[in-house]
Amino acid sequence: MTAIVVKAIADLKRRRLQAAVIFVATLLAAGTGTMALTLLSQTHDPYQAAFEAQQGAHLQVAYDSRSDPKTMAATPQLLSATASGGPYPVTSLQFQAGSRKFGLDTIGRDDPGGPVEKLRITAGRWPSSNDEIALTRSFSDLNNIAVGQKIKVISVAQEPVLTVTGEVVDIDEGSADLSSQHAWMLSSAIPSLSTKDSSYYLMTYRFATDPSSAQLQADMDRLRFALPPGSVVGSVNYILIRNVFNITNQIVTSVLIAFSIFALAATAAIVANLVTGIVISAYREIGIMKAVGFTPRQVVAVFELQILIPAAAACLVGIPAGTIASQPLLANSSHALGLAYTPSFSVGLDLVTLAGALLIVALAALLPAFRAGLLKPVVVIANASSPRGRSGRGLRRLAAQMRLPRAVVLGIGDAFARPARAILTLVAIFMGVATITVALGLPRSFTAINNSETNAGNVDVVVRKSPALSDADALRIINSQPETARVVAETGNNFTLPGVGDPVNARVFRGDSSHLGYMVVAGRWFNVPGEVLAPKALLQDAHLKIGDHFNASVHGSVVPLVVVGEVYDINNLGHSLFMDWATLSAVEPEVSPDAYLITLTPGASVNTYVQHVSAAQPDLLDVEPNNTGIIPPVKIIDSVLLILMIVIALIGVGGIFNTLLLNTRERVRDTATLKAVGMSPRQVMAMVAASAGLIALVGGIIAIPIGVGLHRYLLDLISVSAGNDTPPAAYAVFGPLELVAIPVIGVLVAVAAALIPGRWAARTNVVEVLHAE
Amino acid sequence: MTELVRLTDVIKVYQGGITGALNGVSLSIDQGEFTAVMGPSGSGKSTLLNLIAGLDRPTSGDVVVGGTNLGGLGEAGLARFRRDHVGFVFQFFHLLPNLTALENVLIPAQLKGRENADARGRKLLERLGIADVAGRYPARLSGGQQQRVAIARALINNPTLLLADEPTGALDTHSGEQVMDLLAQLHRDGQTILLVTHDAKLATRQASRVVSVMDGKIVDDARLETKERATSEVVRIRGEETSR
Repeated sequence: MTAIVVKAIADLKRRRLQAAVIFVATLLAAGTGTMALTLLSQTHDPYQAAFEAQQGAHLQVAYDSRSDPKTMAATPQLLSATASGGPYPVTSLQFQAGSRKFGLDTIGRDDPGGPVEKLRITAGRWPSSNDEIALTRSFSDLNNIAVGQKIKVISVAQEPVLTVTGEVVDIDEGSADLSSQHAWMLSSAIPSLSTKDSSYYLMTYRFATDPSSAQLQADMDRLRFALPPGSVVGSVNYILIRNVFNITNQIVTSVLIAFSIFALAATAAIVANLVTGIVISAYREIGIMKAVGFTPRQVVAVFELQILIPAAAACLVGIPAGTIASQPLLANSSHALGLAYTPSFSVGLDLVTLAGALLIVALAALLPAFRAGLLKPVVVIANASSPRGRSGRGLRRLAAQMRLPRAVVLGIGDAFARPARAILTLVAIFMGVATITVALGLPRSFTAINNSETNAGNVDVVVRKSPALSDADALRIINSQPETARVVAETGNNFTLPGVGDPVNARVFRGDSSHLGYMVVAGRWFNVPGEVLAPKALLQDAHLKIGDHFNASVHGSVVPLVVVGEVYDINNLGHSLFMDWATLSAVEPEVSPDAYLITLTPGASVNTYVQHVSAAQPDLLDVEPNNTGIIPPVKIIDSVLLILMIVIALIGVGGIFNTLLLNTRERVRDTATLKAVGMSPRQVMAMVAASAGLIALVGGIIAIPIGVGLHRYLLDLISVSAGNDTPPAAYAVFGPLELVAIPVIGVLVAVAAALIPGRWAARTNVVEVLHAE
Repeated sequence: MTELVRLTDVIKVYQGGITGALNGVSLSIDQGEFTAVMGPSGSGKSTLLNLIAGLDRPTSGDVVVGGTNLGGLGEAGLARFRRDHVGFVFQFFHLLPNLTALENVLIPAQLKGRENADARGRKLLERLGIADVAGRYPARLSGGQQQRVAIARALINNPTLLLADEPTGALDTHSGEQVMDLLAQLHRDGQTILLVTHDAKLATRQASRVVSVMDGKIVDDARLETKERATSEVVRIRGEETSR
């Protein structure tokens, strides 16, 4: 045993560069793997902990404002709920804080405690008078509103000023960057702030065990059956909210897992390649080892040990580093849930990662190590290196026909002279180039989707109207601006669909909405009343497809609808309907827009326009340039992708560097011979670079279509997480020139990576090498 | 006769070496000469050859070949010099294993940019009696055939100087004799040859001059004008070797 350890350590000291390559590749792979597994295992914990601590509602149901309080009070029994909250009066209010205006569904609630949906106060206190209000911390953070700040209610004529007394964390709503938010006032304050059609009652329910989606849908069906038509105007369940909370981490985890597998595969390829190279270069030494008494198993152990030592050292650094790197994402989740952040990791999982990484590395080294163990001493002592045949001849001839310089021809011939090594190198390069392709493509796809969701390029200004202002007055102001080119009015309403538990928010447009830029995945935009589009998740839940006719209901009125298209929309994770104004106004003639999406004439100044419209109606209109910024979760995903791209590209470069190092060392005698017969140092470098360049080119050419395919796969995975199918426009983010440029850049990087081994080869001392026979 | 090689007071000390491999060697070789450098192992004869080939640099002193002072050339310049002026034949052939015999022969010409040297390569193989193995890989050639290929490779660029370092050292007697006959034929055709060997018989059989090296110094420089002289020199040199 001592002999094995002594020999392995001595070899490690001699092969420091190879040990460094193993260390770096394993470090990066173990780091990303740990990050993925930590996120995967810990993501659900913060939400679950907060949900239990705050006794979150499994189901929240909004009832029409005309509902009978006694009927609502009987619903917990109807649903067999173990606890309930409400009914709370709710009204949709428009506020102004400084120059910002925003809308919040404000709940009348006298106590933040209770058996369901305990509100955790993270700053300030609960409102104690009718001119006080509490906001969610997520909303306060997003809009920079502090405790003590005054905000004005602009949706009612008296425009009362309220004081923000507290910030709370509500487990029953998503974060402000992804979901609409609630606010809380005393219940006695709500009646005077309510306007027609802006009020409803909210009840919260909690069950003995966590119900499934099917159970929740059955509960909703039971409610609708038992109550008068139109009583239930909305509902939301804990599964949707949990998914909204976890979606960022889920997507990051999916991406990390995919790329961790990449990183581990590339590392395994590098290790296998390296051990093969070491075995080949140590033929004579292996013979001597066996001659002095090493058994085949001991020879294998020597090779395994010299790989496992740097790999284990890398894991000892990489696993804690991966755990630490995952903490900001977990802290982000904890913060959003109002939980005190405590570093979250699993020692057991880290040990599994350590064992897994070492196992993969050991397995990768096993085959070439076995080969070493089985070598016949007499043969390997006689042959300083392994025999070589007619390797690379075809490629050399092809290159010669292209009239390339001889040094380049020789390099090209060497590239695939050892097929196994070349394939393992290709794996590392392939992973690097494919990752770069994905990491370039996904952010662009996100941008394309974001542009669609925010109407970027199609809407310049968004004007939100207070219910106190009439549609006609708002339109008069907007249309009086000469820069107004197109106006699309928008409102929302909850529709109940057969087979879908929660009422679905319908986005209702007046005007030419087909130009707003929403991505139609399949079918077409609506043309006539009754035609609707919906995202995949809703179509699936409602068992609908394009061309299907169905009856929905709004406030008890039945609306016949036909699905004409599938649209991409992440709101409520793909649960929305897109329809024309006339579809809603047929049953709700008094419907009025909430917002106007305005396109300006070419060359018009957005800021000047905003100032003019604001000045025309400073109180009842909220005029803002269209906010097309990327939402924070997407920024996080983009950052993770960028880091992964760098990590795996580095592993790829490490792979080619490793191969060139092995090649140049193995061919040192050939290089010395070539130098002796007149090859200049520059020609030697060109030869090494040509070898690297060709492998990189082949790896790149293979990787591009697979990278594009992986981009599609991950995009589909992410779209599904958000309740959608991927729109074709989100796939088409690569230009043909770019797809050519990526492998070319790969070649350039490989040639740059060839500089060190190339210089090393160019400096080969001919006399020393050729006389060391 | 025109002087082709001139070494002036050349000293070569290897890193870590206590004594020099060459200790103040001065030597002149004329164009057209067939010179054998003789000496026992470690005497410095291969170092002398490497310095003349531009494969190594002297610690001090000048090495001038064909009017070019090699000390003034950089790595690239030395590579060009070797390619254009020198042909080198090694003891262990040093053929590139993954190239055919013909491809090996053509390498120096192609490195020089002469892409159309095929005809000359084939002619050389024919002249050396191995035209039939042009398409074979080194592993499928006998030692004698490999060394002939190496000689063809050394000649492909019409070198002014052919250097051979123990060219028969790895060959059987018959193959060794064939190779030496080949070198003699090349000399008769006007090729300047510098041969390093530790075999006195080999040195005196074909060479017209024998330079003996011992402990990094030239201890003898004999010109063999006649066959008889050569025979007596063999006897003398062997006698001296024995007495050492």
